[in-house]
Amino acid sequence: MLPQFTYVRAQSLEDAVTHLSSDGARVHAGGSDLLGCLRDEVFDCHKVVSISQLAELHGVTRTSSGGVRIGALAKVAEVVTDPLIHDAYRGLAQAASEVASPQLRNQGTIGGNICQKPRCWYYRGEFNCLRKGGSTCYALAGESQFHCVLGGYGCYIVHPSDTAPALVSLAATVHIAGPRGTRSVPIDEFHVPPRQDPQRETVLEPNEIVTHIELPPPPTGLRSSYRKVRARGSWDFALAGVALALTLDGGSVTGGRVVLSGAAPVPWRSREAEEVITGQRVDAAVAAQAAAAAMQDAMPLKRNGYKVPLFKGLIEEELLKISRA
Amino acid sequence: MRPDPDTSYWIEGDAPETPQQTIQAEPWGETEVVGQPRPRVDGYERVSGSAVYPADITLPRMLYGAILRSPHANATVLSVDTSAARQMPGVHAVLSAFTPDDAATRPHSEFIRNTLFNPTCRYEGEAVAAVAAEDPYQARDALRAIKVEYEVHDFVADERRALETDAPPVHEGGNLGREPQTYERGDVARGFADADVLLEEEYRCECEIHTPMELHGCVAKWDGDNLTVWESTQGVYNVQTGVAGALGLPLSKVRIIGHYMGGGFGAKLQAGKYTTAAALLAKMTARPVKITLTREETYLAVGNRPPANMTLKAGVKRDGTLTALEFAGMGSGGAYGMGGSSLLDWQIRDLYTCPNVKTELTDVYINAGPSRPFRAPGHPQGSWALEQMIDSLADAIDMDPVDLRLKNTPTVSQGRDGIPYSTTGLRQCLEEGAATFGWNDARQEAQRAEQGHIRRGVGVAAGLWIAGAGGPPCTVIVKIFSDGSINLNMGASDIGTGTKTVMAMVVAEELRVDPNSVQIEHADTSTTQYASASGGSKTVPTESPTVRAAALDVKRQLLELAAEELEVDVSTLDMRDGMIVSTTDPSKNTAIPELQSLRRRRSLTGIGYRAPNPSGVATCPFAAQFCEVEVNTRTGEVRILRFLGAHDSGRVMNRLTYQNQVFGGITMGIGYGMTERRILDVDQTGKMVNKSWHDYKIPTALDVPADMTCVPVDVADDQANIAGCKGIGEPATIPTAAAVANAIYHATGVRVTDTPLDPTTLVQAIADEREGD
Amino acid sequence: MTRNGKDGNEGSGANSGGVSRRGFLTSVGSGALTVAAAGKVAAEATDTSKVLVAQEMSKINLSINGQQKEVLVEPRWSLTHVLREKLGITGTKVGCDRGECGACTVLLDGVPRYACMTLAVEAEGMEITTVEGLMDGEEIGPVQQAFVEKDAYQCGYCTSGQIMAVEGLLRANSDPSLHEIQHGMAGNLCRCGAYPHIFEAGARAAELQRGQGGES
Repeated sequence: MLPQFTYVRAQSLEDAVTHLSSDGARVHAGGSDLLGCLRDEVFDCHKVVSISQLAELHGVTRTSSGGVRIGALAKVAEVVTDPLIHDAYRGLAQAASEVASPQLRNQGTIGGNICQKPRCWYYRGEFNCLRKGGSTCYALAGESQFHCVLGGYGCYIVHPSDTAPALVSLAATVHIAGPRGTRSVPIDEFHVPPRQDPQRETVLEPNEIVTHIELPPPPTGLRSSYRKVRARGSWDFALAGVALALTLDGGSVTGGRVVLSGAAPVPWRSREAEEVITGQRVDAAVAAQAAAAAMQDAMPLKRNGYKVPLFKGLIEEELLKISRA
Repeated sequence: MRPDPDTSYWIEGDAPETPQQTIQAEPWGETEVVGQPRPRVDGYERVSGSAVYPADITLPRMLYGAILRSPHANATVLSVDTSAARQMPGVHAVLSAFTPDDAATRPHSEFIRNTLFNPTCRYEGEAVAAVAAEDPYQARDALRAIKVEYEVHDFVADERRALETDAPPVHEGGNLGREPQTYERGDVARGFADADVLLEEEYRCECEIHTPMELHGCVAKWDGDNLTVWESTQGVYNVQTGVAGALGLPLSKVRIIGHYMGGGFGAKLQAGKYTTAAALLAKMTARPVKITLTREETYLAVGNRPPANMTLKAGVKRDGTLTALEFAGMGSGGAYGMGGSSLLDWQIRDLYTCPNVKTELTDVYINAGPSRPFRAPGHPQGSWALEQMIDSLADAIDMDPVDLRLKNTPTVSQGRDGIPYSTTGLRQCLEEGAATFGWNDARQEAQRAEQGHIRRGVGVAAGLWIAGAGGPPCTVIVKIFSDGSINLNMGASDIGTGTKTVMAMVVAEELRVDPNSVQIEHADTSTTQYASASGGSKTVPTESPTVRAAALDVKRQLLELAAEELEVDVSTLDMRDGMIVSTTDPSKNTAIPELQSLRRRRSLTGIGYRAPNPSGVATCPFAAQFCEVEVNTRTGEVRILRFLGAHDSGRVMNRLTYQNQVFGGITMGIGYGMTERRILDVDQTGKMVNKSWHDYKIPTALDVPADMTCVPVDVADDQANIAGCKGIGEPATIPTAAAVANAIYHATGVRVTDTPLDPTTLVQAIADEREGD
Repeated sequence: MTRNGKDGNEGSGANSGGVSRRGFLTSVGSGALTVAAAGKVAAEATDTSKVLVAQEMSKINLSINGQQKEVLVEPRWSLTHVLREKLGITGTKVGCDRGECGACTVLLDGVPRYACMTLAVEAEGMEITTVEGLMDGEEIGPVQQAFVEKDAYQCGYCTSGQIMAVEGLLRANSDPSLHEIQHGMAGNLCRCGAYPHIFEAGARAAELQRGQGGES
């Protein structure tokens, strides 16, 4: 049973931005994450600004440069099936297919998916944690089964998105509209680590809206994948996940990215693993070495030590798989 | 004296009674309707959306109630300020321990003895206040406006720390609720001395929450001093007793209706505090009140299967003879009640032949929500320990795990001083299950196929359920109208197991009519006859013989009328396709509506009473389950490829709903073993952190194999009752988790003794095992 | 990072308190005067946003099972609340009210969605199909028939949602494989554990819908 709010259905991006400039206003795209946060009273919200009617934010189209533009309101389900994505950026389609449940993929948008609030049970629960303006992260001394092993600093959430790591691996760009016009941000700079600010997840200002996400043209020899390990078969966030977007030439890795989900407060690019595999043919030894490198700085909490062997096993498996494919 | 609510799954003390049955029925031989796979008589209602569940009811002028609960693991309510809430739009009534209504502070007749609003809040989720408003949103707004001053105390939320000297006492007198309960037969020391192999292991099962799909809730409505409550419940008579007790009303003034209900699993065996609150709010406002708990509330305040910590030591000879079992189990039923360790040891005491057995059960209080019976209380926990131990013993003596179990199947109930079982199909469950599963081949194949990091394994576990015989008291009426149409009147709830359908089939078996034509009235304390709550796998074995007796009673009367009119001996008459026919002279026959005497009477009423169970025998359902898994040893991911349940529950009453029960039990067991656990913030606040279906993970469609097989060991237990049936609901979930654990061991060589069997436990254990290689 | 300079609506006065105090869906046309909560008067030249004010009842139009319904709602009301408590369409169930069980699954424009996670006002303009909408008068539809035949439920409380998920699946894919059925049903919990029978019902429903309604 949600608390009170005023509802605004914006008819233009400008109007949406204007309404979002008022105190306690929140954007409603698909609404699945917003309504959950409102129910749990994670934050105050006096005004819900729905952008669902904004036609310019819909659709998946090819860009003039040969890349793909995904409207922020494209449903996660569209990202799974759209041939422009499915054929050229398989890792992203796979990541989208692993999101939540069929119904939520029919509701949730790609823009909303990368802007999700953390699923940390202290953050969502009745705990005045650091991220909500309190003084402590309860996960640090508490129940940290599903928390981070890398990148924690004061706050130990994991970033909940499956699509964001895939987008980071594919070097996507996030386009944003706000009161001062539009701007674009490489997705690796879109998410804010707690070291920088433990109370925000993205660089978005409260009155800014993601309009679309742009994927660069796929480089020659690109192979991409996303794999997610979770505690149950559906409707679950990643215990550990890995998005790969590698270019291969004659069996050797020539470049690309290794990005982890379920590991850190932001989609976590493992430059350590990338360094090990670049220029190499990935065999069992190289894969194991890369996996170990990815975890070399891991600092598990009290209850999530399992994530270290899990990530190692997962990265190993996925590197071998993509190299063989 | 008011009877205690029948909240147990089994009966202690004097057996309840119903009057002696006058009909002496022979056991069924071959049956025509009973045993067939039949879709449900209420299938249409269930799929069309027209079945009305309590949550669906909207009455004229109805208000919506909501309950404010303590957010602290341990706190005292110092004051409740409801002044702002009372001023909120749409709010009609507010109730708390600090409002002038003695009902709020009287002992509340739940099966835990507690007041409705107890200022001493010993667990997160204890009720503090209640409101009624025009719509549920306004009711929630009002809760937000109530100001409660709490004095927050230290707490203990981990039962393993409850007996430490510095643990805060949940109740005066400490956290040991009662002296540990012990059981002993034979001499375990001698048994261990006789063993060739001794093993000892510790096991732990996490706390499981029922979370039926329909939220707990009710609608309460007064007509003068008569109260009607539509309640989502497994037992309307239990709710009646609870509500009447709490409100000081005569039982006759409290009508509980519970037609459709959306699942219970033991969590809906009695009235809730919300039921009393709804009745009080309805009285205060002179309007009907609906209260539906939130999903989060159901995680905190309406029961759970307690966590279990167990140690089992076992001795076996090389030939597979079990020589001794020594078991210690500790659990906690939360802040109230003492069901924390109930029946943890029953598998150890009763499942396998073993002369020397010693068990000890310890129950402690913690600051957490009270437990309630949960599908086979204690049994899946005990099975988790015993059935993994049997597997380990088999491994140690290099014997097939099925063979070791077969070597030790009992014919008498050792846990009950050696009285015989009325029937035992344990051996057939194991043999027929193994044969259908292809156990030997699958076991060898899994090992042969072992390459790479994806490993296959098969596992088996067996079990029995202490109850499952049903019993009195129970009364049923079968009425036949002058046109031959039939009405069945019984108090039992159909909690989704297909009770109504099975009972219509029993009527049809005796009266030779289409089961779908039997009109059923049920689960209403004012208009239907007494039945105990549907739970404990006792509904079918309680109701079926009673319904059969009532059908036979009406049949006898009908045939007597026909014999007079047809001028034949009544013993030669039988019913067939709506006709009454002489078996010796088929020309002597009549359609039921043609019977003149029936037309004059308008209807005939047959009454059935549940006869007592036979003395000197134990009636139990038995089970053996088999599964095959695939384990990714790099990630600890487990995929269950197939599952098979072989069950002896006596006569199969409806092959379709029987199978559904087996598959449902397996599914719940998969959740118990692999995905579910209550997580309390034991080191900081004691609060439950995963009180949602996202964070408390019950199995989805992708967690169970589509390949499930049901192998019924369909042997009628004619000594047990005149329908020959035993229960199936509980035994179907008892061995499941252990079977999965055993299959994972077979696949990986890793024995995980703590639930859940998911990557969070497995990947580390497998990595450690590799290190050790 | 790039920044495209544009100072379009700066200083145009944010509507922090809602553009209208009238208790129904409002369009504020050109030149309308609006009063912000802070008391500032702002001229809103172009804003045509629809506004439902907190705590007030506003009229919305919903298309449910082919029928147009005009209902008064608060902006925060979920579609499940309106269907069940206001319109008495109770086939759609509430199991969690937080998008975690699927009992409230309905079709929005033919696609399965959770009604509990959908604001009633957001469903305006979409065709809403509930389990009642699969009926032909008193006759149950093929998916419902398949659930009866296969005993694809126990307590029946999740059943409407399961049926709508199958209906949605079949509208997108008339001949799903077992794998596709399993994944299509992965957003609907069944605590009784009738999943194997639900999978069978999914396959049977596809047969029935294709008109192959022979013996199962």
